[in-house]
Order: sequence, then C-alpha cells, then structure tokens
Amino acid sequence: MILPLIKGLATTLRYCFSKPITLQYPEEKRTPYPRFRGHPELVINEDGSRRCVACTLCMVVCPSNAIRGIVPAEGPHHEKYPVQFTIDLTRCIFCGFCQEACPKAAIKLNNLYELAQYDKEVLILDIERATQKKPEMRAPDWL
Amino acid sequence: MINLTIDGRAIQAEPGKTILEVARENGIYIPFLCYHPALKPIGSCRICVVEVKPGPPRPLPACATYVAEGQEVVTTSERLTAIRQELMKLVLINHALECPICDKGGECELQDLTHALGVPEVDLTAIPATSPPDYESLLVERHTDRCVTCGRCVRLCRDHVGAMAINFMQRGYFTELGSGLLPLDCEFCGSCIDICPVGALINKQFKYRARAWEVTKTEMVCPFCGGGCSYELHLKDGEIMRVYNGETALLCGRGRFGWPVITSPERLRTPLVRVNGELQEATWEEALAAAAGGLKAVLEEAGPGALYGVGSPRATNEANYLFQKFFRAGLGTNNLDNPGRLHYVKALSALGQVFGWPEVKEADGPHPKPPAYTSPFSVKEETKGSGFTFVLGSLEELPRADAALILGADLTPELPPLGWGVNAARQKDDFQLVVANPRGTKFDRWATVSLRYKPGAERLVVAGLMKALLTAHPDLTPAIPAQGLDDLKESLKKFSLKEYASRAGVEAADLEAAAAILAKAQAPAILFGTELLNQDKGEMNALALADLFLLVGKPGTPGSALYPVAEKANTRGVCELGVLPDRLPGLLPLDSPAAPAFWGEHKPVQTPGPTLLEVLDKLEQDEADAPRALWLLGGDLLRWLPNRSRTEKLLSKVKFMVVQDAFLTDTAKLADVVLPVAIHAEQEGSFISSTGQLGVLKAALGTDGVLPDWQIICRLASALGVPLSYRTPAQIFAEFARQIPLFAGLAPRKVVGRTGIPAELKGTFVLFDLDISLPGRRPFTLIIGKVLQHSGSFTTHEPCGTLVVTPEAAVSLNPEDAAQLELKAGDKARVISSHGEVEAKVALDPLLPAGVAFLPEHFAQPAAQMLTLNSNLVRVSIQKA
Repeated sequence: MILPLIKGLATTLRYCFSKPITLQYPEEKRTPYPRFRGHPELVINEDGSRRCVACTLCMVVCPSNAIRGIVPAEGPHHEKYPVQFTIDLTRCIFCGFCQEACPKAAIKLNNLYELAQYDKEVLILDIERATQKKPEMRAPDWL
Repeated sequence: MINLTIDGRAIQAEPGKTILEVARENGIYIPFLCYHPALKPIGSCRICVVEVKPGPPRPLPACATYVAEGQEVVTTSERLTAIRQELMKLVLINHALECPICDKGGECELQDLTHALGVPEVDLTAIPATSPPDYESLLVERHTDRCVTCGRCVRLCRDHVGAMAINFMQRGYFTELGSGLLPLDCEFCGSCIDICPVGALINKQFKYRARAWEVTKTEMVCPFCGGGCSYELHLKDGEIMRVYNGETALLCGRGRFGWPVITSPERLRTPLVRVNGELQEATWEEALAAAAGGLKAVLEEAGPGALYGVGSPRATNEANYLFQKFFRAGLGTNNLDNPGRLHYVKALSALGQVFGWPEVKEADGPHPKPPAYTSPFSVKEETKGSGFTFVLGSLEELPRADAALILGADLTPELPPLGWGVNAARQKDDFQLVVANPRGTKFDRWATVSLRYKPGAERLVVAGLMKALLTAHPDLTPAIPAQGLDDLKESLKKFSLKEYASRAGVEAADLEAAAAILAKAQAPAILFGTELLNQDKGEMNALALADLFLLVGKPGTPGSALYPVAEKANTRGVCELGVLPDRLPGLLPLDSPAAPAFWGEHKPVQTPGPTLLEVLDKLEQDEADAPRALWLLGGDLLRWLPNRSRTEKLLSKVKFMVVQDAFLTDTAKLADVVLPVAIHAEQEGSFISSTGQLGVLKAALGTDGVLPDWQIICRLASALGVPLSYRTPAQIFAEFARQIPLFAGLAPRKVVGRTGIPAELKGTFVLFDLDISLPGRRPFTLIIGKVLQHSGSFTTHEPCGTLVVTPEAAVSLNPEDAAQLELKAGDKARVISSHGEVEAKVALDPLLPAGVAFLPEHFAQPAAQMLTLNSNLVRVSIQKA
C-alpha cells in the first residue's frame, strides 16, 4: 500500500530536480529538428547571388498558391534570374514541394516557424525579404 | 481504300499515306522526332520505327513507310521500346540540360518523348559539344548544344521558305546546325523557331518572358499583309508574349515579330480635335460631337453628295460594311471608294471585263441562325457560280499548279504566303516556273525561264508570250468558252515576236520557251503583284494577264488560277464589301435586283460615284460637285497616293476632314477630327485575304482608350441622324452575309467561291494598249515598291520587331551605276524627279539591272510619293547629296 505511493513520489521528486520540458517562449526558443519544414526562402551562393533561374516550377507545384509574381530577366551573360518573386507566408502550408521541384536547389524551407504578426503584409515576402541573408546551411541536410 | 491493321485494329486508309499519318489520324500514338506534318518525311531519327508484316525482319520508320493492303503494323513491343530508348539515349547524350531556363521547356518535344519512352537515365558518355550559342543574330537565337539534328529547320528553310539560311555543319557525331559560322543573314521569318522540336532556335522577343504553360492562347488571323495566315497569339497577364504557329510553322517576319507595333508610344490613345488651327486632345464625346457637327454643317449646306468616304484595307469587313451602309442607306450616295483603287481595284476591274463580275445563283438559304462568321447560305445542287471569283486561286491549291508565271511581283515581300505556295509547288518534279520582273528576285534561281524586262513593259511581255503561244499553237483554244480571240490575234499582229521582245528588253527565245511552258502546263497559275498594278496603266496590265489566263488557263483544275496580290490584310475584303463607287457589297452591280436591300429607305442610286482619283481631279478643278468633307476610315492618302505635293494641296481644299487611324499620319495631321482606332488583337472582326480566305480577328487585348472602327462608325453615324446600332461585329457579319449569296458556304478559314460552288465560266478577250512609254528624260527608272520586312506603314513604328532588320528606306542601285555616280553603300543620295526630290541612303543591289533603281514606299522618310506623278514608276536622276 505504501510502496506505490513512494514510487509515485520518487518520480515527482526526480522531475523536480531534472531540466524542465516547458520552454519559456518567447524568451526561450526551441531549436527545430534538422528536417523541420519552416519558411521557404531563396538560397544564395557564396558570392551572394541568388541561385534561382526563374523557371517557375515552384510556382507551378505550389498547392496553395503561396508563390507568385516571378518576373524573369536576362543578365549580361544571358543568364536568367528573377527580378520579382513573392512568397506569401499567409498562404504557405510548408509542404516543401517547392524545394522538391526546384531543379537548382534555389528554394529551401528553413527552420523559422514564427508567423504571428500584427500586420499581414509583413508575411508577404518580396524577393529581397525572401532571400536568405547568409549562404550558410541552416540544417545538416541543406542540399 | 487500303485495309490494314495497326496494333490489331482494323483500319482503312487512303493509298499514298504513310503509316505514321494513318496512325495519327486514328489516334494511335507513334513517337517521332524528325517528322513534322508540314514537311516531307526523311526518316532520319528512327524513333518512329514500327514492325511491319509482311516486310523485312528489321523495324521500319513509320514516317517514311507507305501503307499497303493487308499490312500488319505493331507500334509497341519490347524490341521497339528498347530500340527507341537506345536512340533517345544517343540523342540525349549531349543535350544541354538547361530545361529550367530554356524557353522550350514545357512544350519541348524532346521532354515529352523522354517521358513517353520512359528513358530512365543516360548511361553513355561522350565528348561534350563545344560550339557556343549564337546570340548575335537578329530576332533569332541559336543554341547548337540543344540541337538534336532532326533537320526540320533546314528542310523548312530550304523547301518552304526558300531562304536556305540554316544548314548542317560538320559530320557524324559533331553535326551541328549553322550558317557558316556567321550570324543569320536571312529573311528573318522565324519559321525555324516554331518548327524546332527543342530549344535550339529561340525567339528573342519571347526569350525569358514567360514559360510555355503560363500563356493563354488566342487563334486569330494575321493583321499585316493580305496573306490571311492564322496564328496563335500567346498572352500573359494581358500582354502579348509571342506569335506562334505550330500547325505549319510558316509565318513571315512582320507577322511573327511585328506585333510590338501595337504597344508603340506613337499610337494615338485619345481623340484629337482641331481648335484654333491646332489638333488638341479631347474626350470621345467631344470629338464625336465635333466630327458630327462639322459633317452636319457641310451636309446641310451642300447636300449628302458633299461628303466623300474612303474605306480602309486595314479595317475589318464589318467596319467597311457599316461605312458603306452609312453612305448608301444613310445618305443615299455612292460617294465612297477605297485606297485599293491604286492597285487591287484595277485587277478586279480587268478581271470583271474578261471573266465577268461574280455572281452566285440558287444558293440554298438564308438559313436561320448560322454560327458566328458563317454564311447563312449553303451550296446545293442547283447552285451556280460565274464570274472572276472562280478563276481566283486559293492558297491551298497553289502547290498543285504544275507551272507558274510570276509577273511584276517580288513575290515574297508582296505576299509571303504566295511565295511559300510556289515553293511548295516546286517540290514537284514536273513543276516549271517562269519569272518575269525588271528586278532580280528570289525566285529567279528556281525559274526555268527568267525574263528581265524593262520597267513598265509588262504588257509587251504578255503580248509577246501570247504571240509566241499562238504562233506555236495556231489552233489553241481556251479551256472555257471565250469570245474575241480573233480580235486579239489581230491586235497582236501589230508587232512581230522579235519586236515585242526587243521593245520589252527580253530575248525572243526566252519568250518562246516561257510560252511553251505555259502551253504545255495542265494547271498553270499566274501570279502578279502591286508592282504592275500600281502603274497608271495597271488595269491594262491586269487585262493583259487576264487575257493570257483565258488563253492558257485551265479554270476548274486545282492550282490553275490567277493570283493577284491584294496588299493589305483586308484589301480584298474592302472591295468585296462594296466600299467602291460602282459596286455594292458582294461586288453586285448598282443596278442589281438585290440592290434595294443595301439602300434602306433611299431609292437605289444607279449612277456610280466618283472614284478616289476622280475626286482629286474634281478638287483640283474646283468643280461644283467636288466633295467638301472627307471621312477617311484610315489610310494615309499622302503617303500612298502618287504625287504627294498635289495630294497635299488638294486635301487642304477640303473644308472638313475626319480621319480614323491608329497613328497620327501625315494625312491625319491635316484632319479636323482624328479618332484613334483599335488594331490587331484589340478588336474583333473578319478579314478576307488576298486569296479569298475568311480570317477572324479576336479581341484578346484591352483597348486602352481607343475604339474599334465599327463602334466609331455606329456612334458617328447615329450622331449624324443615321441610327446604326450593333452589339457585336458577328451581328454585323450576319447582316451582310444574308445579303451576299457569293459568300455561300463561307466560314472561318474557308475561301470565297471555293466552297464547292460549281462554276460556269466564260470569258471575253479584251484588247489592251501596247504603249509603254514612260515620260521624262532622266537617266534612271525608279520603281517604288515593297520590302520584305514591312507591310504598308503599319510596321514602320517603333518598337515593331522587323525594324531591327530593315530600320529605314534606302534607294537601291546597281553597283556599277553606283560606282559611276561615285556612291557607296550608306552614302546619302538625292533622288530627283520632275515632281519633287527626296534624299535617301544608298544600298547596292546586284539584282537590279543597270539604269533601274528601287525605293521602298513604307517609310515616312524618304517620302517616295514626292517623286511620282501617277504611277509607281518614275524617271529620276540621282546625285550625291
């Protein structure tokens, strides 16, 4: 009769002294797992140029029409690149199809997951805001 | 019919067809790469191999194997799949995998084939191809690393376009397509782009602007020349991306690359009204009120005869029909004409004299509620047609001609589809070509006989031909009942054959050889252009040719027909719809029993109105019945009428002038009210091409402030007390089609008079004069004509695509003449005639004979018509500027 009670108290005591599971969000933030699917972003090369060639396959494959307004242009060496590219995070369902469809590994779902905003416009990313800041990989399986 | 089985399915097929054609007709899929329905099969890619029993043990190419009785064809088997996959691997071994940036991606036949054949991976390696892409060529970009060497472009360019600009270079594995390591120097028609199965040939206008699947497609008729080609207009977000023709791939440069002209900043977007001598922008209401007010004042002061109307060969049939309806049913006058008076109307008039004006009797109908742009009449057994419409040929049958005479036309610049038709005809072994032109043209190289006559000597050449014909075959009888042959023979006695030849500047033996070709031909076609119609005696030239056709032609035999060039998109339509002072819609005579239908409440007027040229004479002599007001439905009279300074003086005598045009032309600058019109795909409507085909324009673009012609006419006519009200152009078409039995059976892409109407033809030989003197003593004969990249003045506005090829007009001279004048290519020269002078850049053209110069008429500067008197031929002197 007393034994189960002690067992239960022991568990409680053990958790009293272990690291808490609850995170103090937003002061503390959780690190997502490596294969977490966050916001889509445009990948840049070491030299800071975008990898995207504006083939629009991500736009075609996107099931929720979150990617739109891709305007291609021709560079001085006949390369094709986008001058406009809109990722609408309010529509994105983070399925990762864009990443899968991209023939140039130029769009990638990063590890960001926060979407709460006062203004919806903030979540509609233009080409500058959709482009990652550093060419670093955010997850080990980046490519 | 032949019975065979394909994959076990019993199929009946016409003899002479290939297995691939029969399979495609029956919806059986056989993959192919080098085959294209518009080209002769060569069986080089071998992707289309099928097993055929009875036959050799190896598979045969379906595209080059003809069907035979009792054949058993197997299109899919393990062996065939293995062969096809292996061949695909060899094609893909070196194919640049640039699909994400290749404009063909999404509509690429190689992509589709790779999917269809399930090629898993390419496990072969090879030396990579190294030749760099050609970014230098105008309008077309070439990527040899994407080429699959199917040879479609090479065959199309050689056999159908006739430019021979692309060919294979190198051999075997290293074969690539090229143009002698130089940028393309060709006709810039871009047909190779649409026939290329992959992205080896790319349209520079389309490059990187849209993906193939993003565009919405509208099929419509080309609004440039009178060729009547159909193409697809590809739009994205309401903007034109490109012009595409997947069916036959053939289009000319202005059709394919000319569309940017509709975005030109020179376009008029708001109406203009003359206030205190200056044209000022106004709203539509103000402008229409000003136009109506001005016209009303003139009509009230001097009666309905004081207004003269000029229809437009660029406006749709519907607009032109309403225009003549306003004059006939509204005002009760015949005071209207169209600019075709200077060329095409002369041909019609001559053909009318020789073969009679067209008439269709006993057509079945009108049926109620026909589909849009379809005639309510159909052809029944008793239906009978007569008149010249039935000797005018269609484009479809031109390749069936076994001999052709091209006279006075640089065919490809004047009407590219006729050029392709002749090229298709010459694929037959027994085809013989006679080319007669004062200038050398592209077709000379394929001509059996080439006649280089003196400018203006067309009638002597034709008379010489007839003389030679009748001498060699004295008992030659025309194929249809004809009168007046004896008179013609008598009139030809004026000169001997030698004299005809020497006066025309050709060899008598050549005339005899050409006559022999025409006499022997079972289906001779005669093609002639505006170059000879534009002369002051253009009608005589056309008469001579009509007589020649009556003599040697075999009307009723497919391919044997007359092909006069109607220059602009609707030059033929504007005439067929009765914008003529002496003909009603359907080319009916003014005294026709059907006439009252066109006159509304007015009594039919049976006296023809003055022609456009007579109006100018009336203005010059200040006659009492000279028009005081003009309504121009487009058409820059100053630029197209000969003797520009005279036209300018006479137009300024007109009290009030209303001009509808898309651009502020020199004529529009003289107007009191200018109303901007919708062009190209901004409006709906129909055109009748030079060869009689009905084409339909679709409104695919927004109008951005302008209005279609028909709406302007409705609003202006209503403001003038002639209520005209229609909802759609199709409704207007339905109205006039009910009154025109000649259009029986006509529908989009059908040809006027070629809808199965049995024709009863007869002809009369009409004598023509043989006087060819060209006044003046100046040393050069200047021919004013057309160049390939331009259609009227329409294509001379930036940013029209063809302007990169031909940006300006140059006076072409024979190099020896130029050397004598100490002129080099690019120098400025003064061209002086008795009527005026212009300054133009010099171009050297070895195809021009000595003493002949050529100046294109399209451009505002140099204004070619400053030099002319009453013809497109004029004697000039040329000096260094």
